[in-house]
Amino acid sequence: MLDWLKNINKEHPEFWKEYIAKFSKKTNRYVILSTEATGNSTEKDVITYMSAFAVENDAVMIKDSFETILLQYRFLHDNHLSNEYIIESRILKLSEPEALKTFVEYLGNGIIVGHEIASDMEMINATLERLDCGKLRNDALDIDIMHRKLHELPEDKEFSLEELTEYYKIPSTEGDSTTEKAYKIALLFLKLKFKLGLK
Amino acid sequence: MNIIAQQIAEFLKNYAPFNQLTSEQLAEVASNVRVVSLEKKQTLFKINDTLHDSFYVVASGVVNISVIADAEESIISKLHEGTIFGLRPFFAKNNYKMTAKAREESLVYAIPIAVFKPLLANNSEVLNFLLENFASNLPDDRSSQGNLVSDGLFYTEKQSEAQFFQTLAYNTTPLLATSDNTAQEVAQLMAESLKNNVIIFERNGPIGIVTHADLASKIATGRFPINTPVSNIMSSPVVTVLENVSLAEAQLLMLKNNVTHLCVTIDGTDKSTIKGVISEHDLIAAQASNPGVLIKEIKRSLSSKELKEIRTRLTNLIQSSIQKNIPLTHITNIASEINFAILKRAVELSILDLGSPPARFAWLSIGSQGRKEQLLLTDQDSILVFEDVAQDKYIEVKDYFLKLGKKTTATLEKIGYELCPYGHMGSNMMWCKSLTDWIKQYNNWMNATRENTDNLSSIFFDYELVTGEQKIETAINNIVFENASNNTLFFDFLGNDALRNNAPLSFFKKFLVEEEGIHKDKFDIKTKALMPLIDSARLFTLSYEIKGINNTYTRFKQLAIADPKHAEIYLSCAEAYLFLTKIRTLEGLKNENSGQYINLEELSKIDREKLKNALIPMKELEELIKDKFQLTQFS
Repeated sequence: MLDWLKNINKEHPEFWKEYIAKFSKKTNRYVILSTEATGNSTEKDVITYMSAFAVENDAVMIKDSFETILLQYRFLHDNHLSNEYIIESRILKLSEPEALKTFVEYLGNGIIVGHEIASDMEMINATLERLDCGKLRNDALDIDIMHRKLHELPEDKEFSLEELTEYYKIPSTEGDSTTEKAYKIALLFLKLKFKLGLK
Repeated sequence: MNIIAQQIAEFLKNYAPFNQLTSEQLAEVASNVRVVSLEKKQTLFKINDTLHDSFYVVASGVVNISVIADAEESIISKLHEGTIFGLRPFFAKNNYKMTAKAREESLVYAIPIAVFKPLLANNSEVLNFLLENFASNLPDDRSSQGNLVSDGLFYTEKQSEAQFFQTLAYNTTPLLATSDNTAQEVAQLMAESLKNNVIIFERNGPIGIVTHADLASKIATGRFPINTPVSNIMSSPVVTVLENVSLAEAQLLMLKNNVTHLCVTIDGTDKSTIKGVISEHDLIAAQASNPGVLIKEIKRSLSSKELKEIRTRLTNLIQSSIQKNIPLTHITNIASEINFAILKRAVELSILDLGSPPARFAWLSIGSQGRKEQLLLTDQDSILVFEDVAQDKYIEVKDYFLKLGKKTTATLEKIGYELCPYGHMGSNMMWCKSLTDWIKQYNNWMNATRENTDNLSSIFFDYELVTGEQKIETAINNIVFENASNNTLFFDFLGNDALRNNAPLSFFKKFLVEEEGIHKDKFDIKTKALMPLIDSARLFTLSYEIKGINNTYTRFKQLAIADPKHAEIYLSCAEAYLFLTKIRTLEGLKNENSGQYINLEELSKIDREKLKNALIPMKELEELIKDKFQLTQFS
């Protein structure tokens, strides 16, 4: 509530201003997001992996996707972890500020969709704060909640991504990477969106 | 390329035409894919939808492709994983001609046309694959290609069903009135436009109908005054139907509801916009072009005028049958039966006029009619054979038959069959002879071919009895085959006759078109493509002594059995013949002529390719002829 007060004297980076400006327009672009983090603490833990696919006109746009590994040197160092496996991967690798900047640019004013999206959002917002940015302004949808709504289930009942993909017979992917998770969430979202009759 | 795009590329790689792409091209395609999820029974696109900017591949699940007939969807194909569909945007600009609907929960990959098209330009194999499959109309082709569904509209039914399911032509500008119009006003409206019904509507939905019967039973009897509001006398509610209702369904609805009119609305309910009115008369008119009815009418008709009218209806029937993609062999069969009925009736009408013939005779059709291949109104060719009579009667008998010939050909001319420019008709002194004279004639032609090439035409070897004595035809048949066996000279003549025309394609596989005259730059499909096939088929059937088969298509089919070593050539010729006939018939129907000259510019690119392909087997056939008959004498 008092966010704006807290931030009133801060000078936001340029990309953040551009991001804010994008909200003057309405959108029909959904950004299906899946992140990986070292843990649940917004203070101690960091995001290591971000993947996203856009959904437009009821189709997953493979081209319009986002995928990056965040090189968390400080975190790795503090925890005495090795990064050699990460280095071997062919996926785009960026430092935390760079990754978040690219992601925010990619995200724009799209509606965020994810599985238990609240925790992803919290994590991202915490990271953004470190970069002198505000909180994400995007609307967010959670496929778990959509599923509960569709079947009128009690709110405290939670479903894992595995349970949902099984229930909706989503074709399985080869592995279990963040990108594949984002893709599965995207397919689940298409189904739920259709079944709930969202426009 | 992210991992999902990689997985999509892996998937696509297993299926044509993607297996022909390089891995970079495949990566480009895969990363531009849009994944669409379809729920059970969800429609991807339907008939008349504007084209999407992509084509589709089934990634999982099953998608049904269907067309609408009889106001009902009929599924023409079930697509499984890896099948390509929705290719229409590649090749056509108009809307979809079929509906794609998920049969179960499915995923499809949409591949943007804009991404795929550049790949076509430098990969002709992929282009051909798509072209051929888009163009192919036949279910056989689909099974052999495996994973691709033609977007051309194919829909074949057995012929009888096709007539039953034909759609109706009906009045699409019905008379309309509102319920506060008076009976008199409505009657006035009907009288002015000579229609027997008026639809009463309210806010765009029909609420009732007033017909002659209502006026007669309710106004003329005095039950209602003439200025009563029409709502008092209308029949309500009116029975409504969907736009593309079939003959069968309309008939059933009228019987069931005991009404004489059906109101057509956009969605088939009485709450939507009125599109037209189907009356009993429309049903009768629709049935009038049923082949059975045509033949019955031919048998009953008494003048050339009636026959001409029936022949026009036959043309319509042929046209609509071709449009419905009923196999051409069926159409030719039906058309030739009707043609023969007309010819027979024409002879009968002459006999009715001239009195009964003084001797038994046979009226034989020769040429295209004799081969039962006449779809268009081409010229008439016929011969007349009468049995031998005592010499003193000969002049008298011949005189009668000449008259019969003249009368008949004149009738046929009135119907629309042009006279043969070479005089190959039963009305000609030369071709109206006794059986003995005919036997002499055939002997002459076949044994002393060299001297008699003047009036010998190969069309005399395609004959079919129209009316008269079967025995006479058999006699001629015997003489022909007797003379043909081991008759090198005769086959020489026929062989050279078959090969006399220039090849249809140049060395560089370009069409050889007319160089001058009014048909300049057009392709002479008759002399350059059809005649060589017809002549060759005749030549081979005579040499293999295959009797009683006159039709070029069936001749090739029979030859494939008789000469299995070259079966492939014969079969491809049979298919080529059908396709060429179809092209010619369509051209003929379009221009109302014999369709001899094809304007290549007007053909679609695909048809041009198919035409070219149909001409290729001719080369092999030519070699086969040269080889088998060792042509030397005349060449």
